[in-house]
Amino acid sequence: MLKVIGGFFLGLVVVGVLAYAFAGSLMFREIESPFGVEETVARIQQNIQNTGNGWALSGLRNPGKAVQNDGGNVLPVMMVEACSTKYSAPILKDDSVRFLSILMPCKVSVYKKNDGKTYIGMMNAGLMGKMFGPMVGEVMGHVAEDQEKFVKFDPSKPAPEMIKGTPGAAAGGAGASAAGGC
Amino acid sequence: MSARPKLILSVAAIAATLTALVAFAMPAKTEVASAPQAATTTPKKESDSTADHSKFKELQKNFKTGPEVTEACLICHTEAAKQVQHTKHWTWESKDPKTGQVRGKKNIINNYCTAVLSNEKDCMACHAGYGWKDSSFDFSVQKNVDCLVCHDNTGTYRKLPGDAGHPVYKRREFPPKSGKFVEAVDLQKAAQSIGMPSRTNCGACHFFGGGANGAKHGDMDSSLQHPGKYLDVHMNEKGLNFSCTECHATKSHEVSGSRYNTAAAVTGPAHIRGKADASPAACQSCHGDKPHPAQHARLNQHTDKLACQTCHIPEFARNDIGTEMSWDWSKATIMGPDGKRMVRKDSAGRRAFDSQKGEWRWESHVIPEYRWFNGTSTYKVIGSKIDPSKVVQLSVVGGGPNDPDSRIWPTKVHRGKQPYDVENNYLTVQHTGGEDATALWHNYDWQKAIGTGMKAANLPYSGKFAFVDTELTWPITHMVAPKEDALTCEQCHSKNGRMKDIQGVYMPARDGTHWLDVIGWSLALLTLLGVLIHGAIRIYSSKKEG
Repeated sequence: MLKVIGGFFLGLVVVGVLAYAFAGSLMFREIESPFGVEETVARIQQNIQNTGNGWALSGLRNPGKAVQNDGGNVLPVMMVEACSTKYSAPILKDDSVRFLSILMPCKVSVYKKNDGKTYIGMMNAGLMGKMFGPMVGEVMGHVAEDQEKFVKFDPSKPAPEMIKGTPGAAAGGAGASAAGGC
Repeated sequence: MSARPKLILSVAAIAATLTALVAFAMPAKTEVASAPQAATTTPKKESDSTADHSKFKELQKNFKTGPEVTEACLICHTEAAKQVQHTKHWTWESKDPKTGQVRGKKNIINNYCTAVLSNEKDCMACHAGYGWKDSSFDFSVQKNVDCLVCHDNTGTYRKLPGDAGHPVYKRREFPPKSGKFVEAVDLQKAAQSIGMPSRTNCGACHFFGGGANGAKHGDMDSSLQHPGKYLDVHMNEKGLNFSCTECHATKSHEVSGSRYNTAAAVTGPAHIRGKADASPAACQSCHGDKPHPAQHARLNQHTDKLACQTCHIPEFARNDIGTEMSWDWSKATIMGPDGKRMVRKDSAGRRAFDSQKGEWRWESHVIPEYRWFNGTSTYKVIGSKIDPSKVVQLSVVGGGPNDPDSRIWPTKVHRGKQPYDVENNYLTVQHTGGEDATALWHNYDWQKAIGTGMKAANLPYSGKFAFVDTELTWPITHMVAPKEDALTCEQCHSKNGRMKDIQGVYMPARDGTHWLDVIGWSLALLTLLGVLIHGAIRIYSSKKEG
């Protein structure tokens, strides 16, 4: 009996340690970009616009600006925000999972590290979705497929212009992001 | 052995192994920490001068040209032009006191616009003078010294390419066919609004070197016109608000702190500027060579190997403007599908391609490349022989680990591809600017452009050219970040840290012997194992006895 209980707790410890060590890297992905920060952002934006499935840009944020305004420095970080009502609507309609609106809009982070290289950070939508039931799992599975298209680059094509701010949101207010799909 | 101690021992062993694995798997913690333009005018401070130039009779004239203004200035400032004529701002020439090499804009070849010769009418938009359009320019004529370019405080004084250093006398469209117009300078107003050089004056050229905002230096661009604390603690508009001349103290119009004679290793305590043997523009001038407080005394022990800039300018071009990292001249003369000039911008809206000039690559927040530097750089000058089988170093920063005057400096390395004479093995001078038949930017004909340029340089040209890779290295010294953003220890003291390519100095955590590391780690693991086994035996024994 002692062996069984001991083994159970040992298993718990091992699982806990493994979860601690690897959960972060399972939930989020980081890939290196062959381009600089601005060009990576611009190419992702272009890919989002070309992906279809209702995807539209809903913003471009620069969290580093706030740090600058506060007198400090961070290496560049840009967050491309995109949304597809095709995927957001089913989740937003279901009271039991509406809290997942906190994950909206879909974000792709582009940043430089101290090695001078540019990286892309994304949520592992497919895996995360599976944690919240079949409907969310299916929707997020599609989001994950589209995310792959966002970061597939064709270097033979010239660098597009980076789209700053929120397209179609010049008026601001609650409706500002309507043009962005959410 | 009974089951219980076995289990405890097993759990302990697994825990120790997992802890070690997790510790190894965890990443090391890192702290993230054109034309010269009239930059936006700085807010005008109330003058504390004893002279109001607007009241001077000599300046109540309707000046038609720049030299007329200078003649009026010289009535009172009798020695000013003579002083200026001894400076690099006038001669565009500099002799290295250590090596004797004659450098300066007039003589070197860079990998931006390449060379001044045969392009004087354009380049002299940044000369502190009037009328230098070719080799016939008389450097002794005092009225050709341009006082206003440094002392105009209206912020409206503008000189454009093509005018051989004269200001804009007539309203004109610039760049041509752009729909943008540059107003004629009100010379009387400028002459009456004289003051010490502001950031606007210096920045009109130094922010826009290389033909675009931020292109050349990487640590100087128009963002320094109104900088925040994050960009430069000294120039911070809401803080110390230093002008350029606060550090670049000037004596008899000679501006201190030239990159041609950099004070790379200043020692001793802080001193009052103007001391004869000191370099006013060096950090140590105010901070001394032991600038850190007692609780950070370890940092002071780094000052005999590191320049202040190395830690305190962790990145340069820390803004959206960015800086140019490469210029590929071999792509120049490639025309668009319609056979016409093609222009393309990069994703951030900076110049990326122009049929006239080639292809550029830009970057913001650039991590510097680090080099030993003793303040002396050796330049490729016009006619210097090159080895085209290697990357040609247009400037070699001197110094090394065994040179007591050397420090590790942050640098910007600008990569280029530019033409050279394949038989004579020297970089070519090309005539680029202008509307004449041989100007590259007008006729897109390399042979004609090189032919004219080499003739102006008085060098034989074989008639055959190719392109060679070049590098130009610039020590970085502006855009000093707040101390909280200085490099952290582990950013350098790590295997792939900032100093990974620096040779000749032992750096803990970067350098080591593989086998010594293996032995050390083995000893540590064996010690851990010994402790665990010892503990297990103690538990086992106590249970057996009890």
